[in-house]
Amino acid sequence: MRILSFVTAVLVGAALIYGSLDMPQWGDPHSAASTHVSSYYLHHSMEHTATPNVVTSILADYRGYDTLGETTVIFTAGMACILLLRRERSR
Amino acid sequence: MFEFVVSHYNYWAYVGLMMIGFYAMMAKRNLIKKIIGMNIFQSAIILFYISTSVKKGGVTVPILEHAHKGHGAHHAVDIMQYANPLPHVLMLTAIVVMVATLGVAVAVCIMIYRRYGTLEEDEIIMSIKRG
Repeated sequence: MRILSFVTAVLVGAALIYGSLDMPQWGDPHSAASTHVSSYYLHHSMEHTATPNVVTSILADYRGYDTLGETTVIFTAGMACILLLRRERSR
Repeated sequence: MFEFVVSHYNYWAYVGLMMIGFYAMMAKRNLIKKIIGMNIFQSAIILFYISTSVKKGGVTVPILEHAHKGHGAHHAVDIMQYANPLPHVLMLTAIVVMVATLGVAVAVCIMIYRRYGTLEEDEIIMSIKRG
């Protein structure tokens, strides 16, 4: 079982390294991740949201629904913890 | 060849870290060690995303400078001056999800320990089979 897991991990790692050969270079400012929507946010953040911190303006304004879902995740996890740990005690 | 290795070895470091976590999740019998493996896995993903936001050449954190000085004036923002803010935001969300999964997993482990008195997977399976 241990050998099987090791072989699986090595195979998946080899596949991921093969995939990383096509990735952009470290610190490339023209990579796909930092060109399209990210430059839009940097250009328009001040005029749309009046917030100098672009991370804040994306988190709370442009992607507010994402943050709403995130709080839902936290709420669900907190409720799950409370329900799991409480039931045993009341027996 | 050397140039290529220098500009790509960060990805290989994350792949190595991720596979350490993956192996721990599969091979370890102790449930707490499995959770630690899951955390290492998620940390590797977070490091990978953060590394995509790096831009070479004197970049700072994505907080716009002199933003309030020009009142109403449209300052031309130099994108090459600031790091990519989008992966930071996405990883804030991912860290929150990571903490949530860690909390629920540890709560489940506490329940298992109260019920079976052990966190070793094979011992739990043995005691389930015995009834």
